[in-house]
Amino acid sequence: MADQTRDNLGRKAASRAGTFELKSRRFSLLGLVLHSSDLAEIAADWAARAGAGGFEHEPVVIDLSAVPRAAATPATEGQAPLALDGPAPVDLRGIVELLRASQLQPVAVAGATAEELALAHELGLADAAEEPAAERAAPVPADTVREVVREVVVEKFIEKPAAPAPTMVIDKPLRSGQRVYAKGGDLVVLALVNHGAEVIADGSVHVYAPLRGKAIAGARGDTSARIYAHSLEAELVSIAGIYRTTENPLPAEVAGKPAQVLLDGEKLLMQPLSL
Amino acid sequence: MTKIVVVTSGKGGVGKTTTSASFATGLAMRGHKTCVIDFDVGLRNLDLIMGVERRVVYDLINVVNDEIKLTQALIKDKQLDKLYILAASQTRDKDALKQEGVERVLEELKAMEFDYIVCDSPAGIETGALMAMHYADEALVVTNPEVSSVRDSDRILGMLSSKTKRAIEGAEPVKEHLLITRYNPNRVEGGQMLSLDDIHEILRTPLIGVIPESESVLQASNQGTPAIHLQGTDVAEAYKDVVARFLGEDKPMRFTEAVKQSWFKRVFGGK
Repeated sequence: MADQTRDNLGRKAASRAGTFELKSRRFSLLGLVLHSSDLAEIAADWAARAGAGGFEHEPVVIDLSAVPRAAATPATEGQAPLALDGPAPVDLRGIVELLRASQLQPVAVAGATAEELALAHELGLADAAEEPAAERAAPVPADTVREVVREVVVEKFIEKPAAPAPTMVIDKPLRSGQRVYAKGGDLVVLALVNHGAEVIADGSVHVYAPLRGKAIAGARGDTSARIYAHSLEAELVSIAGIYRTTENPLPAEVAGKPAQVLLDGEKLLMQPLSL
Repeated sequence: MTKIVVVTSGKGGVGKTTTSASFATGLAMRGHKTCVIDFDVGLRNLDLIMGVERRVVYDLINVVNDEIKLTQALIKDKQLDKLYILAASQTRDKDALKQEGVERVLEELKAMEFDYIVCDSPAGIETGALMAMHYADEALVVTNPEVSSVRDSDRILGMLSSKTKRAIEGAEPVKEHLLITRYNPNRVEGGQMLSLDDIHEILRTPLIGVIPESESVLQASNQGTPAIHLQGTDVAEAYKDVVARFLGEDKPMRFTEAVKQSWFKRVFGGK
């Protein structure tokens, strides 16, 4: 996404007077919101939940605003050395390595302490605004260049793109071990998806044949994404991270029948389709 | 025009080598110049089943490494003058298979005007299996009527449609045929084995034949004779049907119905 924007900027600039423009831009970025400062714990959880990858060097902002700051309680005189230590800093270096190893590109931190910020600058990360500030106008001089000012707006929820997202259509059977990811849009599969195959989409997943493998819709958090199958036999269904395996069998009214799966709050609903 | 056919399955012990031997023999019996290559480097079995293990001097790896001429390694079958065997090496492993070398061997066989090259794939989904399938035009996917074998065949079918030369170059896909071996209709009726319908429902690949479970297969292997040579057995008949269907003939499926044992046989035994 970011690459494309840069290309657009480049092309526009070439047709105007100057070689570039400096503009305030808003980017949709992934936010990694940390709830812990313990690197080992985060790494283990990351490996379990996101280690499989599927990322393609997307930019990501490390959001530290939700990290519990245990030592932030006012210290008494006797505990002065502790108070000097301040809140336990998050090991940003470790987090950055973790993300890079999974083909993600950390670009900024948000909600960092002064100490963490210093480390962030050392690691080449910018300081991002903590909350999206849509109304805040940032006048940037267009023709004088003193320093590069770039506002990074962190959005925790990915907005649906206004333009119709590309739909990926697969017309060959997906068999055990095969994985298809429709980035940014819907995935339509016209042939069977067998056990051990994975169909993943940022939008909805449509399978006009038996769906026996794993189906993951709203892979980037779109809670309105759905899964549609001509015959629902999936071993796992997931929408925006809420998942269900068939360890507890699918309800009889949808198992092996045309059905849709949608998200109602935090709950997956499975409904038969009358075709 | 030479056709390269890979016999593969993913899972081991389902009957790939037995099928490669009988299928290649069957094609030669029908007058087609055929070469069968053992890709199971390090665990060669094909030469045993073809009964030529004592005549193996040079093998596929020698040819791949350009140490000898292809003609020196080709073993001519004693019964059929249109059948040749290229054995695997017992002393090397599958990493010795180099893609360029394999391609060169296949090109040389094509230049020798073989009608069919049958590649006997090793089990698994590693180098050996990938090499065996890479240049294939058609594939016989051997499956036993049980869940793990069917699942592994599904994996192999996926690889045939994504990892082969035809798939990578975007040419016409590898033509897939499903061959079910060790089928026992009586055990299917008893619910101990998957039925043909169950397997078709999972894989949805055209069925080229069903080989019944039979002790004559074991007997044939031990004798070093391809099972298709065992006159009058159901296995030989079933393999002949497979070859006929492969060559485009329309043959009804046989040996797929349960045979009711008579009261007399049940009481007094016998087969």
